[in-house]
Formats: sequence, C-alpha cells, structure tokens
Amino acid sequence: MKNPYRPILTTIQEITIENEAQDLKTFRLGFCDADEGNGFDYQCGQFAELTVFRVGECPIGIASSPMDEGILEFTVKRYPDGQVTNALHNCAVGDRIGVRGPLGNWFPLERMEGKNVLIVGGGFAFTTLRSTIRYILHEANRKRFANLVVLYGARNPGELLYKDELKAWQGRDDIEAHITVDKADDESWTGHEGFVPAVLEQVAPSPKDAIALVCGPPIMLKYTLPVLEKLGFGPTEIITSLEMRMKCGIGLCGRCNIGGKYVCIDGPVFTYEQLQALPAEM
Amino acid sequence: MPTNKLYEGVSDWLQSAVETLSAAGMTVIAPTQGEPGVVNLTRVTSAEAIAERYDNTLLPLKGQFFPITETLLEFERCEDGDVEIQTEPLPAPDEVIVLGCRPCDAAAMGTMDKVFQWDYDDVRYRARRDRATLVAFACTTPSPECFCTSVGGSPHGDEGSDVLVFGLGGDDSGGRVLLKVNTDKGRQFIDRLGDRVRPASEGVQPPSPPELARRFDTDAVKAWLDEGFDSDFWQQMALSCLGCGACSFLCPTCHCFDIVDEATWNRGQRRRNWDCCSFSLFTLHASGHNPRPEQFSRCRQRIMHKFKYFPERFGRIACVGCGRCIRACAAGRSLAEVLTEVDARQKG
Repeated sequence: MKNPYRPILTTIQEITIENEAQDLKTFRLGFCDADEGNGFDYQCGQFAELTVFRVGECPIGIASSPMDEGILEFTVKRYPDGQVTNALHNCAVGDRIGVRGPLGNWFPLERMEGKNVLIVGGGFAFTTLRSTIRYILHEANRKRFANLVVLYGARNPGELLYKDELKAWQGRDDIEAHITVDKADDESWTGHEGFVPAVLEQVAPSPKDAIALVCGPPIMLKYTLPVLEKLGFGPTEIITSLEMRMKCGIGLCGRCNIGGKYVCIDGPVFTYEQLQALPAEM
Repeated sequence: MPTNKLYEGVSDWLQSAVETLSAAGMTVIAPTQGEPGVVNLTRVTSAEAIAERYDNTLLPLKGQFFPITETLLEFERCEDGDVEIQTEPLPAPDEVIVLGCRPCDAAAMGTMDKVFQWDYDDVRYRARRDRATLVAFACTTPSPECFCTSVGGSPHGDEGSDVLVFGLGGDDSGGRVLLKVNTDKGRQFIDRLGDRVRPASEGVQPPSPPELARRFDTDAVKAWLDEGFDSDFWQQMALSCLGCGACSFLCPTCHCFDIVDEATWNRGQRRRNWDCCSFSLFTLHASGHNPRPEQFSRCRQRIMHKFKYFPERFGRIACVGCGRCIRACAAGRSLAEVLTEVDARQKG
C-alpha cells in the first residue's frame, strides 16, 4: 500500500515570472524518478500538494495540460502570510520540490465533447482553465469540441498570466479569445477594458449546446454567475472550481468541508447547481 | 464458539489478565490515576495500578490509534541538494489490549473507523486497530455530564468493544465480574485467561444499566439543522465560546488534523497533529480570506459536522455522549444543553 502522504520528488526546471508585481511565478517541474512521473496521470482541473521541505505543503491547481508530455507546471501567487508560497517564490532552478497528487476531481471534458465551450477566468484563478484551453487546443483534441470562446480578465495588462500564449491564441482561428483588464494603464492596450461580468454581457456567448467553465476571485464569481444565467446557461452547464485550505487532500483531515462536501475529493470542481445547494461558507 | 456469551471472572481475574497478557508480549493499556482525580489510559504491567473508580479517562481512547502527534515521513536534504524521503517500513505495532475503556469510547471508534478507512485506507490507523482488543468496563454511575442515551448509546452499550465487563457490585460479589464476549477478538482474549474465567452459570444475566434519561432526539436535531444554517440561534449559542478547542481535543470522535513540517537545518519530519475546527486559523487561507471568519460559524460547523454532515456521509452521528466537552469547557458550555434547545426548537 502506497503511503498517501509521501510526495513525489521533482526538480524545478524553469521559473517564469508572470506579472509586473512579480508575485506570480510559474514553476516547471521535472520528476526525479521517471517511473514516479509516469504514474502522475492528471486531468484538467486537478490540483496537487506542493512541498517545500522544512516549510510544508500547500494545495495548488495544475496549470499545465495532460497533453504536455513530461511537463508539470504550477503558477503560484506569493502571499505575505503564506509560508509555503513565500518559500516557493524563494526557490531557484534546480531545487527539489515535493508533489503529492494528482488530487481532486476535474472538469467534465467528456461531457463537454461536441459542445461549445465557454471559459471565463479572472486573475490568477486562470491556471487550471489554462490547462483546459491547452488541452482542447491540442491537435489531437480540438476536433472533439465545437467553438471555444475564452474571456480572461486581470487588473491591468501587466497582471495578465501567460502573455505569450494569450497573444498566440488571438492569432488562431480555432479559439475566440477576449482579454480584458479592469483598467488599461498602458496606452498600447488594444483588448477590452472593464470587469469580466460586464465584458461577458457584451460578448454575449450563446448558451446553445454550451458549457461554461468559470474560475475567479469570489467577487468576480458573485457577479459573473448571474450574467451567465441571464445569458441562458443552466445551473448544470456552469462549472466552477473552489479553493480551500486543504491539508491532506484525501478526505481525512476535515479542513475543507463546505457542508457535507469535501472540496478535496468531491471537488474542487463543482457545478453551479451543486454550489447553490451548499452553505455559504466558501 | 458463539459470541455474546457470558463468562464469570473470579476475583483476581484482572490481575491475572494483566500478568498473562504482559507475559505473552502484549501491551496492556488501562486506566490509571496520575495527578489526583485525573485518570488516563497508560501502559500497565500490574493490576494494582489500574484505577478502580473513575467516570471516564480524561483523554479519549482515539489517541491509542490516532495519536495526538505522529510522524508521517522523514526527510533529509543532502549536501548535493538532493532530498531523501523516508516513509517505510512502518514498524508493526504491538499487540495491544485496552483493559477498561468506557463503552462510549469503544463506540466512538466506529466513527473513527469510518473516517480513516473509507476512501484512502490509512495504513497506520488500520494497523493499530487490527492489533488491538478493546475490553470495555460497563458504567455503573454515569456522571452528570454524560448523555450517551441521547445519542443512541448506553452505559452498558456493546458497540465497538470486543468484551464488555460488568462488575457484579454488592459486598458479597467478592470482586467477581461478568464478561460478555462480543467478537472473535474477545473470544481470544477470554481463551487467554484460562481458569480465571468460566462460562457463567445458567440464568446469570448482566445487571441492568443505570438510569440515564434521554435529553434530546437526534432525528429532531438533524431535522432542525437541515433548515437551520442561517438561524440567528448560532450567534446566541456561540457568544460564550472562547475558541480554545478543549472540546475537540477531548472528543472521542473529533478527527480533524493538521500536517506540519518540523525541521532543523537539513532534516526534519512531517507530522500529523490533532487540530480543531474551533480555531480561527483552521480554515484561514494564505490570502487572508477565511470561509468561517467568526466564532459562531466555527461553533456551528462543529455541531453541523457531528449531527448533520457526518450522518449524511457515513450514516451515523459523530458523538457518543461521553460528556468530556461539557466537563472541560472553561466557559461552562454544554453540548447537551445546546442540542436539547435545538430539539425543543424543532418540536416547537
């Protein structure tokens, strides 16, 4: 029996500073033991517990796509009070990081097959959505899905994640990418300006044969979910992902309960319908 | 041999049990008095150390299987920057006989088993459980804080124990006891005692359990909780809660834990420690966001978890009515009173 608390050892291969504030970094990890790496079979929307040895673990969504062979990426926000996120940000290429996972459920990609896909993201909650977009855009998968519309917003142009990819998406004809910023402090900005819910109303994607994946800060979700409903998306066609201070990640430690649900094993992915049945403790 | 069979133990059965089992290499755990008035389960090698009169142990039985702190793995950072992780092999736990837990604590293990053996089988927990035999001593005088009968238990409850021992009481009993075998493990225990026990004579029955009035109805409690999340009741009931966590630490069914690294410069341990949902840090995110920001929301969580969420998931409530949380509360709060009030609200 495998010890479920034992992390897999990885080495940091690359660190990308994502934003101007420099508090968002993407870590590309390589497995120290190829066999363990092969056993790390993940889906879009899952998370893992990242270990900085001597400091501890914290749960982070997987930002790379299962189609990115041999690549495992996590984008981590550094918080002043976050012990592990601070320690991660102090790590350098070559450092050893523990990874425990993959954990949790995932976006229902099978149910999304043949359908139009709307992806709405805000801030740094965009990471597992990026995983999903990369997955859908992969040449082996793209035909299995109909239209792909992406709406992604950040505070200002400097705070957008994955800037090279955003640029590349806008040059493709198999993805409709709308990028918005709360405030365009940069005169060269050519994308949308305004909050995600307002831009969503302008773009007004059709709910017909469509599923919407939505991730963002609570305030964005609060105003975005009603817009999706107004557009005609049903509560089972709106899917989101929750964050919680998960320690064990395997349904034991009792920390991530919202009502009777454990975010770590019943989630982190929930439909809007499931969300509405939970107490307001998110 | 059928279980539920009754045996009679002669007056020195307990002394004999401790000696025989210890000699056979088993670890005997029994209630002993440390500081005046404080009884806890500790290892004994002689029956003289075993406390005779006690309501219950201060710390719950769960700690024998889910220790207050334990090492999950050890790690060491080598000079070349590599990290070595050691998790195996887990040492096989000793064969343990718990001689003298209370029926409520034995019943509580059913709740713990649900948590630690449902999806991920917790190998440490299971190894300890598999190697342990629980011999419960039936309660003769429940304390004023006890409320097992309100949550489906009894001072003479069978659940969870391998053997249940009844003192025969009275001056003429001469220290004799009745032992009721509940499981195969219990039968093996009886077999080891040799001639210190013998099948009870025909017609011998255990004494009746002491009276302990039911104070509330858990179905009514659940029905109220189903609709009561947003009630202003929670703010009122939580006003006196200090958030100290004593109730959870002493609770035989509370199982929430934290995972922390403890390390010196280049080596350390990852440990699992008991934790408590009453603490404000319990759900605090690194961002500063806290899904349960106020004490009342944490008090509500503790009751909701025990009497609504846990039964919905596992089919049983997560409380055995041992009364420890009431005895320990520095603010004089009583879970039984809260639940009696909830019951009354439901019945209107």
